[in-house]
Amino acid sequence: MWSRRSMKPELKRRLKSKEAVLFLIFVVIFVFMSILSPTRFLSLYNLQSMAYQLPEFGILALSMMIVIITGGINLSVTYTATLAMIIGGFAMSHMFAGGSSAGLSVLVGIILMLAGSLACGAFNGYVIAYIGVTPMLATLGAMTFFEGISLQVTRGGAISGFPIEFIKIGNTAVLGIPVPMIIFLFVLATVYLFLERSRMGATLYMIGSNPKVTRYSGINVRKNLFITYLIASLLAGIAGILMASRYNSAKESYGSSYLLQAVSAAVLGGTSIAGGEGKVIGTVIAVLIIQVISSGLNIIGLNRYLTNVVMGLILIVVLTINFLTREKQFRNN
Amino acid sequence: MGQTLIELKNISKTFPGVKALENIGFSIDSGEIHALIGENGAGKSTLIKILSGVYQPDSGGQIILGGRVVESLTPLEALQSEIAVIYQDFSLFPNLSVMENIALEQSVKNNDNLVDWKAMERISRDALDQLGISLDLNTILGDLSIAKQQLVAIARSLANNARLLILDEPTSSLSKNEVRKLFDIMHSLKNKGMALLFISHKIDELFAISDKFTILRDGKYIGTYGEDELDDEQLISLMVGRKIEYTIYPKNKRTEPLLEVRGFSKKGNFRDINFTLHKGEILGLTGLVGAGRTEVAQAIFGLNPADEGTLLLDGKEIINSTPNDAVKAGFSFVPENRLQEGLVLSKSIEDNISLTMLDALSGKSSLINLKKRKELTRNWMEKMDIRPNIPEMITSKLSGGNQQRVVISKWLATDPKVLIVDEPTNGIDIGAKSGIHQLLRDLAEKGLGIIIISSELPEILAIADRVAVMRRGRIITEFFCENITQEDIMSKAL
Amino acid sequence: MKTKLLKIKELPIILILIVISIIISVANPAFMTLENFLDILKSNLVLAIMSMGMLMVMLTGGIDVSVSSVITAVAVITGYSLMHWSSNLLFTILVAVLSGTVMGLFNGLLIAKLKIPPIVATLGTMSVILGLVLYITNGTWMTGIPEKFIDFGRKKLITFPTGDGKALGIPIQFLFLLVAVLATWFILRKTVIGRGIYAIGGNRDSAERMGFKPDRIIIFVYAFEGFLIGLAAVAHTSIMRQVDPNAFLGFEMQVIAAVVLGGASVLGGYGSILGTLIGVSLFCVINNGLILMHIPTFWQKIVVGLIIIGSISIDMTQKKRTERNKTRVDVE
Repeated sequence: MWSRRSMKPELKRRLKSKEAVLFLIFVVIFVFMSILSPTRFLSLYNLQSMAYQLPEFGILALSMMIVIITGGINLSVTYTATLAMIIGGFAMSHMFAGGSSAGLSVLVGIILMLAGSLACGAFNGYVIAYIGVTPMLATLGAMTFFEGISLQVTRGGAISGFPIEFIKIGNTAVLGIPVPMIIFLFVLATVYLFLERSRMGATLYMIGSNPKVTRYSGINVRKNLFITYLIASLLAGIAGILMASRYNSAKESYGSSYLLQAVSAAVLGGTSIAGGEGKVIGTVIAVLIIQVISSGLNIIGLNRYLTNVVMGLILIVVLTINFLTREKQFRNN
Repeated sequence: MGQTLIELKNISKTFPGVKALENIGFSIDSGEIHALIGENGAGKSTLIKILSGVYQPDSGGQIILGGRVVESLTPLEALQSEIAVIYQDFSLFPNLSVMENIALEQSVKNNDNLVDWKAMERISRDALDQLGISLDLNTILGDLSIAKQQLVAIARSLANNARLLILDEPTSSLSKNEVRKLFDIMHSLKNKGMALLFISHKIDELFAISDKFTILRDGKYIGTYGEDELDDEQLISLMVGRKIEYTIYPKNKRTEPLLEVRGFSKKGNFRDINFTLHKGEILGLTGLVGAGRTEVAQAIFGLNPADEGTLLLDGKEIINSTPNDAVKAGFSFVPENRLQEGLVLSKSIEDNISLTMLDALSGKSSLINLKKRKELTRNWMEKMDIRPNIPEMITSKLSGGNQQRVVISKWLATDPKVLIVDEPTNGIDIGAKSGIHQLLRDLAEKGLGIIIISSELPEILAIADRVAVMRRGRIITEFFCENITQEDIMSKAL
Repeated sequence: MKTKLLKIKELPIILILIVISIIISVANPAFMTLENFLDILKSNLVLAIMSMGMLMVMLTGGIDVSVSSVITAVAVITGYSLMHWSSNLLFTILVAVLSGTVMGLFNGLLIAKLKIPPIVATLGTMSVILGLVLYITNGTWMTGIPEKFIDFGRKKLITFPTGDGKALGIPIQFLFLLVAVLATWFILRKTVIGRGIYAIGGNRDSAERMGFKPDRIIIFVYAFEGFLIGLAAVAHTSIMRQVDPNAFLGFEMQVIAAVVLGGASVLGGYGSILGTLIGVSLFCVINNGLILMHIPTFWQKIVVGLIIIGSISIDMTQKKRTERNKTRVDVE
């Protein structure tokens, strides 16, 4: 079907694509970090450590990406994960301490974590899709609201005492691949199929581009938006499970720095902040880039506060570049 | 009348593919109420935009203002030449007070740093007094009725020393009382020496207030007449009288009802709408802008559901509370504003055409069958002759005619029973128009029921089997499109 | 006169304030005391000052979540200046106000010139500024504020003698609030740029056509907000007598909640100083009530979140209703 001659331009196009450029940036940064401290960056310990940490971040970034594509934003994504892990963790540790079997406790814990995240999603979804509050403010309020509930449960402390079976999720490997990574790859595949191949995914892109036309075309925009927040929150719940397992405890402050990074990853990966555009592979490569930067800076010994500064600057710089490229394109037309 | 305030000579305006205005020339005196008349698409809006500097006329045209000849105006120059336009949307600030809406512009123009409230109060009180209106200056504009907001807009023009006031369909949202009040004000402004250019469709209003009438038809200048030189009939025939250039398709008297609308009412939109659409029939729905035609269509389609009434499709009662319901029931709606309501401009032809068919294309797995989608797109692009033949092309880059075809394809792909098209050939050149006419007739032949909303009477007479005329939210009458003239229809619409 | 009173837009929220105050005093009579009110005033001065800035930002349809980081940064700079440069009051205020304005300018430029959506831009600057501050201070408190400044901070504007010898009074920092409110009032009410802020919020295109320059106005708004934050930082430092870089974490939520409660619309164009002040008062009263009724502090966050969502939900529902009932055709 494709003649040899037409293969070359296609390949060329792919090589010049945004995603290819991003991947190149990733490679460059990886190499750069390796050069800066070869023994520690390229150590098995570090590579493994990144492989264990990336999944929770990656899932949060994908969650954020889905919402941004519909033209919204979810500022409560990290606190959704937190609340989910706290609710589930609370039940799990109490059951376990009360004599229930590890297996049952873990099962109940996980189910509640997922249910909790879905509840958060339903809350956001209702306020945004049915009442009509803009996503930015709805999730801003929700963020504080969820944090408050989390604090209520933990009283500021941390929940611990999880069964070993639960801790294994975030800290063991199967055939050399960390379990979190397996989960992440599974989530990645599902989100890809959902966004870029499924009927609902196609709808979400259209809603993000022009909700009015989409509604005029007979699509139930409200229902789709509601489900979007459900799905995004469910993903946050999964991230919460991974975090709780890795840290072996649940606290309301965990993961809060991931919010900025999740937005940065989505934007860096080519998701338009206005909605309607974005590729899963782009977000994933962006996640890799940010992870490598984060770990690399950590290894070099950069103060963690400065790492936050770097993350903030990444977001600002990426958006600036986006603006300048748009300006250039506009002028060229 | 006073002296000539403004004179137009050889004003033309060409857009890609469309000649909106051709050699318009007339003059307006101060102290005169001058009506600009013509059907939709006659070129009135374009002319106003040229006068207010939004558009530039083609070269060769001249505007003579108070003796000075200019080739074209920018919006700023227009303002400085004391031309003010009152548009339908008023360009006012709903969150600011009446006083500020009238007088704030002065402060900005003078580069003031501090607000001189006393001066603003004086200016706005002055302007309102000149109009003979009393309003609380501190009322927030958004709290006022549309009629009062319009008066504020007029007051603003006065405060900005306008000498020519252009009112574009000022009465379309006003009650009879409010219209009367507006006319009193227009009279007093005229007596003060202002020139008013008044655009309206409403014949009785035109005769009630205008001194002169300038008639445009299809972008051409037909003539300028004093109010005593014409009567209704003559006016209408000058407005519409033309050779029908469209192919007139043979009419059919269908008997099998497809869609029955009974007692459809919605407060503030339309009342007691009843009609029947038959299988294989094209029913025209016409009337003036603001008669409620689009509102009825939107109600049928579930975008703006009616308060009461029933819909019967194939004899079965249907309730369309959302567009989703409507599509499932077999309705389709090609909206009037294709750029803002019909197409997702940033997405490709393929994305747009398949938007209505996502369920069908994905089946049980809910994953879209990419091959099927490409096939669907290619099919329709071929059937509808959409150019260029690149499914991935972003629709913002297509011509108006092709954009419309994409929208129509999107709907035809759903194999609907009822197709509602709202001003389908608006802004499309003559060649493409006949293409769409042929398409609609062919669809009707296949049994589709079509409702065509159009202000273009020749178009309706050419392709519709019957036409229903709406006026102010009611259906006044229905005609069979045989042996009737445009004047017959227009006289009912007015 | 009576009808004029009823027409005040802020009436509903004034009533709510009264009702809630009554409820709280019933639950704990300690509420309705002068001492308590002065206490509320003192602990919420910063919130009130910053709410003026946030009001202006929201009037343009924007938002600023970096305010907590900015005030932390300014407080740190102020503390450093006091300890190492000069304890002169005027100088200190100048330093604070200047730093705040510069940071605000930066936000304004990102938003106006680079067209970055306000939420995203300020999310980024929040991280950058806070990160830098925490790095420099390493999260530790700065003590060692000069006595002269501390003495200033202890002053009272007006003192009320009480029977048992306690000296109650309006703290001197109230002057800062007064300046903030007056400055905001002056700008919004008396300057053309102030009306321009409302104009842009109401109809940006028309505003531009009329001659306003949206970019300049937006930059001004964020810069002025930074200026106010500077004032707030000085006030805060003089009350607390030390600088705690962690004091303001999450504070931006409270500022936003108070302003939204006061009736400001997030879409821009609507909002008043009176409304915001009442919103702040209501917010403070609610918080105070939670304390007096011995409700645990985590409820505060829950309340803040619900206030934000609730206020806007009500706003939205009203808007939808008016839209649905709009008359489009003058039906015969």
